[in-house]
Amino acid sequence: MADISDAVIGPLVFPIAEGPSDQAQGSSATIFVHVPVTARSTNDAADDDEEAALESNPQLIAADSTTITMASIARSVLPTQATAASRLSAVAARPIVNNAVRTTAFHTTSRRDLLPPLPQRVDGTVNDPAPIPPTSPSHGSYHWTFDRLLAGALVPLTVAPFAAGSLNPTMDAVLCAAILIHSHTGFQNIIIDYVPQKRMPRTRKAFMWGLNAATAVVGLALYEFETTDVGLTETVKRIWTA
Amino acid sequence: MAALRSSSAAARALAASSRPAIRRPASSVRGMAQLADAAQQSQHAAGENAKMKTFQIYRWNPDTPTEKPKMQSYTLDLNKTGPMVLDALIRIKNELDPTLTFRRSCREGICGSCAMNINGTNTLACLCRIPAEDSKETKIYPLPHTYVVKDLVPDLTLFYKQYKSIKPYLQRDTPAEDGKEYRQTKADRKKLDGLYECILCACCSTSCPSYWWNSEEYLGPAILLQSYRWLADSRDEKKAERMDALNNSMSLYRCHTILNCTRTCPKGLNPGLAIAKIKKEMAF
Repeated sequence: MADISDAVIGPLVFPIAEGPSDQAQGSSATIFVHVPVTARSTNDAADDDEEAALESNPQLIAADSTTITMASIARSVLPTQATAASRLSAVAARPIVNNAVRTTAFHTTSRRDLLPPLPQRVDGTVNDPAPIPPTSPSHGSYHWTFDRLLAGALVPLTVAPFAAGSLNPTMDAVLCAAILIHSHTGFQNIIIDYVPQKRMPRTRKAFMWGLNAATAVVGLALYEFETTDVGLTETVKRIWTA
Repeated sequence: MAALRSSSAAARALAASSRPAIRRPASSVRGMAQLADAAQQSQHAAGENAKMKTFQIYRWNPDTPTEKPKMQSYTLDLNKTGPMVLDALIRIKNELDPTLTFRRSCREGICGSCAMNINGTNTLACLCRIPAEDSKETKIYPLPHTYVVKDLVPDLTLFYKQYKSIKPYLQRDTPAEDGKEYRQTKADRKKLDGLYECILCACCSTSCPSYWWNSEEYLGPAILLQSYRWLADSRDEKKAERMDALNNSMSLYRCHTILNCTRTCPKGLNPGLAIAKIKKEMAF
């Protein structure tokens, strides 16, 4: 049942200064982080434990699979509170569950786990090299070089109109386009970092299209602003001297 | 080890002499039954000159996976402990709690086994002095954002798989001119300084936020430093292939020059600079 990749599952260590253990004072967030990793893994010991807990709690047996989180809360409470004593009866277990939930709701703001750590998975054997992604300079080196050149070009573009003292609509349009593309690639980087393609491909797609739409809207707005209004540089100048 | 043993024996003798009521047969071997004694001794031996220091250590046992990870405190007299954190850990394991689990091998910063997070910084326990001046407790965690095998032992499977993926060996098609060895100039050899010293302890990779979020695809500073070590090698003939393998949005370009890697490296290397050099070489 438990293959080798699932056998070595530990909780993820979080880069929080205080560490996960300090959240142990009855925070349901940690319960949700840690317990599913172990309880839903193919770990025989965990399954046995869950069954034992269910046997002692007739109410939990009645519960269907949708209340599995409740069961895991009860289970994480049980070993600490009732190790020495005999198993809690169903009557006693219910208030504890409720109290735990209520207390955590009172003490901590709700924390949604956007990307809870998955159980560890080893692709292939441990001796296989990690897969090498296909070469794609347009997403790699060309993209990076273009990003840097654009960022470098923005500096003189921003300064030039004020330094020259004249406002050229062409320069203004170039500046607007550069800012637009610079922001677009910048946001792209953020999405690539925080919306992993591997784990949430559809969300990634949605975010990317959302970004495209936003860039298009902003581009249109800038076009309108440039053609029918005073333009970007003049606006900054007016706000500056207002 | 020998020094530790003898010092602990001395501690026992000291404790025994101050408490003549408790007598132990001289031939006793240290075992589980004596653990409580050892703990008592470390408390008892706290005389007026004792420099007590508390270590809070992350504990998680895979045998009881439903139990939450917890911090466990151990108090040692620094006068009887070596200067490094690893000395303290070994002493805790020998005398206070044999269930404490951590990796260690060379105890001189050359194997990279004892990488862990000490007081918020990834470093090698064997190269990290116990902060003796402040009386605050020292907190020891496993490397951040890794899967924990047990206590302070992180699972580095993915790290090693990624290392293997960059083909960390000399690739050549042409034989050497004299048929003996592949020679390089002193200047070419100098380019490898600051690269070959890396011991792959994973301190830098596990300190990198980009690697935290995207470790499946981003290679991380340690592997990229090694990648550059082979890119910079004048004897290697597969430079183009090596670069092609990095030329995608994830493997290399998730580096945002945060430089946690350079700050944390216990060997004083500069993975951030190596990554910047790869980017520069691939730029045009």
